[in-house]
Amino acid sequence: MPSEIRSRSWPWVAIGVSVAVALSLAIVSPADTVQGELVRIMYVHVPAAWLAYLAFTVTLVGSGGYLVTRRLSWDRVAASSAEIGVYFTGLAIGLGMIWAKPTWGVWWTWDARLTLTAVMFFVYVGYLALRNTADDSRVRAGRSAVLGILGAALIPLVHFSVVWWRTLHQPASLLRPDGPAIEDPLILWALLAGVVAFTVIYVALMVKRIELHQVADSIRDFERSADRPVAGASVTAPQLGGGLGDE
Amino acid sequence: MNAGFRSQVAAVVERDLRRERRRGDVVWVTIPFGAMALFLLPLAIGVDTQLLQRIGPGMYWVVVMLFGVLVSVGRASIETGAQRDAVSLLGLDPAAAYVGRSMSAAGLLLVYEIVVGVVAVVLYNIEVIGFPWLVLTLVITAVGLGLLGSLAASLVSSSSAGSALVPLLVAPLSVPLLLGATQVYEGLRLGRSILPWMLLMVVVMLVTAIVGVGTARPLQET
Repeated sequence: MPSEIRSRSWPWVAIGVSVAVALSLAIVSPADTVQGELVRIMYVHVPAAWLAYLAFTVTLVGSGGYLVTRRLSWDRVAASSAEIGVYFTGLAIGLGMIWAKPTWGVWWTWDARLTLTAVMFFVYVGYLALRNTADDSRVRAGRSAVLGILGAALIPLVHFSVVWWRTLHQPASLLRPDGPAIEDPLILWALLAGVVAFTVIYVALMVKRIELHQVADSIRDFERSADRPVAGASVTAPQLGGGLGDE
Repeated sequence: MNAGFRSQVAAVVERDLRRERRRGDVVWVTIPFGAMALFLLPLAIGVDTQLLQRIGPGMYWVVVMLFGVLVSVGRASIETGAQRDAVSLLGLDPAAAYVGRSMSAAGLLLVYEIVVGVVAVVLYNIEVIGFPWLVLTLVITAVGLGLLGSLAASLVSSSSAGSALVPLLVAPLSVPLLLGATQVYEGLRLGRSILPWMLLMVVVMLVTAIVGVGTARPLQET
């Protein structure tokens, strides 16, 4: 297999394998004694929420990296990660609502975890909207980096909201100081496999999105440079004529 | 804070307040708009006076947050790229400009909060309890919103979407202030501790101030 095809196909192979394993475990794992079959929604909901944390943390790192180094590659990392993070936060919220209706009896409640997750979602929607307002790559990068840093303050708030406030949402099941709270090993493995699969999807999407941002920036810079007059364009060459020999 | 920085902040505050005196954006647009919102809300949810008295403080804070953003929106739409260039060529410290803009916005927001607060007390028959704490809440909220709004206005300045984007940026980030302000009133009403909510608002205010001052120069360079 040529190396170019191999390098292009690795993300799809990795996604295929990890998703297949996660899906198999999600199917063979037993139904929960309290939640029943609804527990299977958690195999997507929990990894999506984890990915949102990861993505927005990477956005924070990328934003800080840009402000320190002024390299656009950091900005592309931040932007790509925010796009993926917004998508997976939306997925986590949507799946949580589908789970909540039969479990809590309502699609939505003003629980601290839910409300703060929605707030985080809107902050990063604002981040993406802010990026669309500037044509110049450096202006866009500088402004969005500030919001990328400010918005990251919500990540610990969202995660610890179930500890700091009395909430309807259950406390963390995996990321706990005293270890995971899930007793059935198959359910635990199914959740962990989901987290791994989603992380692989995230890495693959990041690689693709960064490439796309690079191409988009090159096209934008080319278009801008095409409109810009070249150096010395305003200077006209002296017109010859009217010399001695013409008269 | 040295004398040069203080005088620059004072100059920016003076400029903004003079501009408000000339244009009257807050006095003639934002305050009447907020009062009108408080007047219209009962028409949508019913005129049960006991219910309105119960939900009135919450409604007041929602109106303060949503319509208070207009103070920063106005600022973002007024300042042009040429004005900003002229100010930076004068050698004005970007951090001083940010602090000055935030302070003038906080002052205007405080006036807005007081006037709309009087309207809310009259229309919803709200009981005013724990007066000194309520005043402190009003001040912290005004400063917090002023800092957030000025930061958002700096982020969108001279961009194509400009002022339309400010509410989308400020509204989600002002949620801790909204929560804190409403819970302080609830705490005072029910005799609970209000300290954690006060602390939350102060932390939000400080974090915004640090980010705003720290990023003022990079933002000016863009």
